[in-house]
Amino acid sequence: MTGFEPTRLPTTAELTVATPEGVVFRLPLAGPAPRLYAMLLDTAIVLAAVNGLGWLVYGIFAKAPGFGIMVITLAEFAIGFAYAALLEGFWNGQTIGKRLFHLRVIDQAGLPLRIEQAWVRNLMRVFDALPLAYLVGGISALSSPLLQRFGDRVAGTLVVRETPLAAPAEESWTRQKYNSFMDYPAIAMRLRRAATPELGSLIQDALRRRNELTPYARREIYRELAMYLQNEIAPFPDELVEMLSDEQYLINAAGVLFADQRLSRVQG
Amino acid sequence: MILDLQRFQAHAQPRWSKLESLLAALEGRPDRRLNPTEAEQLQELYAQTAADLNRVTHGALAPDLRQYLERLVARAYAELYYAPPTRSEVWQPRRWLRIFAAFPEAFRRQSRFFVLAVMITALGCALGGLAVRYDPASVEVLLPADYLRNPDQRVQQEEKGQNRHLDSAQIEAAFSAKLITHNVQVALLAAALGVTFGIGTALLLFENGVLLGAVAVRYAQQGLGLFVAAWLLPHGAFEIPSILIAGQAGFYLARLLLRRREDRDMRRTIREWLLLIGGLAMMLVWAGMMEAFFSQHHAPALPYGFKVAVGAAELVLLTVYLLLMGRGKSAAEAPVSVPSESK
Repeated sequence: MTGFEPTRLPTTAELTVATPEGVVFRLPLAGPAPRLYAMLLDTAIVLAAVNGLGWLVYGIFAKAPGFGIMVITLAEFAIGFAYAALLEGFWNGQTIGKRLFHLRVIDQAGLPLRIEQAWVRNLMRVFDALPLAYLVGGISALSSPLLQRFGDRVAGTLVVRETPLAAPAEESWTRQKYNSFMDYPAIAMRLRRAATPELGSLIQDALRRRNELTPYARREIYRELAMYLQNEIAPFPDELVEMLSDEQYLINAAGVLFADQRLSRVQG
Repeated sequence: MILDLQRFQAHAQPRWSKLESLLAALEGRPDRRLNPTEAEQLQELYAQTAADLNRVTHGALAPDLRQYLERLVARAYAELYYAPPTRSEVWQPRRWLRIFAAFPEAFRRQSRFFVLAVMITALGCALGGLAVRYDPASVEVLLPADYLRNPDQRVQQEEKGQNRHLDSAQIEAAFSAKLITHNVQVALLAAALGVTFGIGTALLLFENGVLLGAVAVRYAQQGLGLFVAAWLLPHGAFEIPSILIAGQAGFYLARLLLRRREDRDMRRTIREWLLLIGGLAMMLVWAGMMEAFFSQHHAPALPYGFKVAVGAAELVLLTVYLLLMGRGKSAAEAPVSVPSESK
């Protein structure tokens, strides 16, 4: 596994914000697909609202249909722009569609967007929607590192994905009572010291995604990881290793690395 | 060193939960204002959670926990550093009315872009006019619609009122709405095309100018100058300037985008663009009404001289409005709100 180079770039784009206090955090950006779905939903809502209004106006102006048409045409036009601009401006960057698809428009600096920005990015739709089906906006978003369509570039905004709010629950495999590796504190300490955070998370991820892997892939990955640990990092006695499956070997190793254990005192 | 995640999380969880509930309370408030106690508490919890995030980022690879903390820090950061508009700024009708003064002010601040738009349109006009004057064949290409090519027929129809129906006010109302939405859309596009570094804006203005010049010369050739002036001026007095202002907004946007990244502060300067758009939209509403309710009536109902006089009066009023409105006050307070673009 030495000399291993990651061949894949991260699949999701993100905005990295460095605050004045020196904290760095990332916000995952929303891809074009969910944004499209949210927009379609919003369009449906606007159409429904305009049609509902149309019936109402039609009733009121029954005697003067020409004025009715005037009111409907102007209202439809105004609602088309104002719906998203006002909702995003006053509802912290979300329309109904964006809320349902867990999207939010924010300022480029990671702050909530301002009302002017909401207006600008929505007025710019006349350009982004060209020549049909948001082709210009789509190409712009795909060619931008921050996935911004032209309206976003001009307004200095971007669309982020809302990530889960809850802290991750404890993993079941960290709760095993007895860990046979702890019988060999010297080797366990060696494992703790030699393992990098990357290796630690690799093991953790492999275990966490147990059920997502096909049996063959799981067997191969677990075997490779266990062999690597055993041969390169911390050789536990053969009589112990022979009794353990690769998976149990990794669970034990993860227990040594992460779970609450008496060894933590030597950490310093 | 590898962080002992489980113990760390158990130890830090209370302060994260506290921050979470504080944020939920703040985000629920429409004006997003904090009192001093809350501000202090938020600042402290933010600092602690940010430190926790740093530890998780560098001491362990726990993607889920890291994501959770990042989200928490991001939300706290947004609450701490965002200066929300005050309620009075948003809901005071008097501030909304200020657009009537702010629009001409913005227009004057960015007048050089207006001059550019006028020049491009004038160039188009001249070329269109010359083409029709010296190369009658070009009419076929330049003036697509039938009525534009054969003004005689159209004028006769118009004057006899053949396009007129009994309940004409109704039709005019519907027609005005169509005109307003169409014109606003075209104007918006001209302003938005600024993102093509102004090229799109320039093309649109040029095309518009060519059409204008060609129509004017064509009608004048046939001795229909007065008719066309009376037909177009009452609404054109607002419509053409508003398209020019849309071009101005487009060039202003292009200039902003051509700035070096460090020099541009879009969030502040884009307000100017919005002011221009808001203003020209108001102008187009007026132009649409005039076009539908007034321009379509011809002699003998409305004498041509009267219509031309109305158009000229509109033009004078518009000029006075754009050049003088808010001038007295602006000397005292204007530069505070938007930094001038001209150096």
